[in-house]
Amino acid sequence: MCRIIYNPKYSLYNLGESHPFSPQRTEMLIELLKEWNILTEPIEPNAVLASDLEVIHDRNYINTVEKVSSGINVEDINKFGLGNADNPIFEGMAEGARYQVGGTVLGAKLLMENKANRILQLGGGFHHAHNNFAAGFCIYNDLSLAINEMVNFGWHVVYLDIDVHHGDGVQEMFYSHDYVMTISIHESGEFLFPGKGWVHELGQGSGRALKMNVPLEPFSEGSSYLEFLDKVLKPALSWFKPNALVVQAGADAHFADPLADNLLTTHDYENIFRQIIEFADKSCNGKVLFTLGGGYSSTATPRIWALLYLILNNLDIPEYLPKNWKNHWEQMLGKTIPNTLHDKLPAYEIIPRREEILKINKDVIRRLMDSVSQYWI
Amino acid sequence: MLIREVMHLNPISITPETSLMDTYNLMNDNKIRHLPIIKNDLLVGIVSDRDVRLATSKFAKTSYEPGTMISEIMSHPVETTRPSEPIEVAIQTMRQFKIGCLPVLDDSKLVGIVTVANLLDAMLLMTGVHYPTGRLDVLLKDRAGEIAKLTKLIADRKINIHSILSYPDANGKLRVVFRVATMEIRPLAKAICNADFEVLWPIQASCVE
Repeated sequence: MCRIIYNPKYSLYNLGESHPFSPQRTEMLIELLKEWNILTEPIEPNAVLASDLEVIHDRNYINTVEKVSSGINVEDINKFGLGNADNPIFEGMAEGARYQVGGTVLGAKLLMENKANRILQLGGGFHHAHNNFAAGFCIYNDLSLAINEMVNFGWHVVYLDIDVHHGDGVQEMFYSHDYVMTISIHESGEFLFPGKGWVHELGQGSGRALKMNVPLEPFSEGSSYLEFLDKVLKPALSWFKPNALVVQAGADAHFADPLADNLLTTHDYENIFRQIIEFADKSCNGKVLFTLGGGYSSTATPRIWALLYLILNNLDIPEYLPKNWKNHWEQMLGKTIPNTLHDKLPAYEIIPRREEILKINKDVIRRLMDSVSQYWI
Repeated sequence: MLIREVMHLNPISITPETSLMDTYNLMNDNKIRHLPIIKNDLLVGIVSDRDVRLATSKFAKTSYEPGTMISEIMSHPVETTRPSEPIEVAIQTMRQFKIGCLPVLDDSKLVGIVTVANLLDAMLLMTGVHYPTGRLDVLLKDRAGEIAKLTKLIADRKINIHSILSYPDANGKLRVVFRVATMEIRPLAKAICNADFEVLWPIQASCVE
């Protein structure tokens, strides 16, 4: 049904104990799936070579990442966005990143060779990596390389980014490309990183009106996401008719996420995942590649991705989390994990600006569709 | 920032004898709104697309014929700037005279032109939005050492400050907008709030969770 891609070497991409982008999140997910006895044997990808990355990254930048990652000192790493709180330097990180890039590229290949329709890559999603610098926890842009392979194969691709941060790296690499539509829904860049992803960023040249952004007000809720699915994603897919859909399924729009403000619950995520898959079934023969991404609440993120796994495999949604798993990870994290897979409702206190936020988001969606519709003929 | 950093080089110009029709077409073809008028290497006037449209409008008191020389309707003398002038002076000039463009003269020779669009681009550059960053907006007491205390706090967290923009608020305090290269704007804002700074953006419910 759905092919799973994973390599334990992904964990080499470890940016330190206190860093939010922790391999522990995937570890928790995999153990949960094993505990339920539903994890199908993942396909293990190889790492891409550093030279393979030259299609999307500057050679100087790649050399620098590879050097510092193997402990060699390089001067002037700052201009490559390295050696700071977000992108600290750790040994092995380049190798770990190349394994994860390999996973996403393998996912693309399986789709192109018609060996699978649904792919879940249990890693990747490094949408903030730019041509010649690292940013936002990302060094190598797995998504761009995978999409590029599909484009070279002659495919039209829709890239959907539901991470709470704007997918700036991917958008930038395909900004004037007419085979790639990028759609990012995120908390607006009013204060949140990367400060981009506004409605007016519509693409350039022949890529015009193929780059779409829905910057939501901070503290946006599930209803705005559902509006987006209906008013933006659905018409975009049925108009563009891609050969495949690539989804960056960051889980950081959850209400418990410490780095952002949006207020999705696991129930919202379930709805969103189901709809995306339904749209993919209708618009591109179900060819869809999901990657992971952000998601910094250690108690929510594995539950959200477990839902994604269950839905992609057409499995029933269990009500409770396995006790063993819960006890083990509560001890490891020193945090309470809920008994149930889903969040208990109401999940958070009613926010005072709810009506205003809804209104602003509706308006953003209307403005976006007004802007693109004149090109969509 | 100086005018030479933002100005448009080698602007298109016309002569006083250029006809209204040719002026109109030149503006249209090049998608520009202003044309300096040069005679014997000296700037003698300037004309905007609005001047041309008003001069030829059916509704105007005197509607000019397409063949009329531009010298009939051009504005002169012309407000100008020079390459070494700071942009804030040029902006003030433009606001003072309610005009949208300044020819740039160097030793009486026309070397460039600067328009509202150039200055908006310059302002945008100053806000630091061109690099992936989060935005932090802090209200500071207007006294020595406040920015230093705050930037030290950011530096200690190994976060790069990409740009700093500041302006006085209505109550005599200093509003400082930082573009910081971090995904962790929330934790950063909380730490700054806990250090007794007034964080305006991102909005804080309270300093502690």
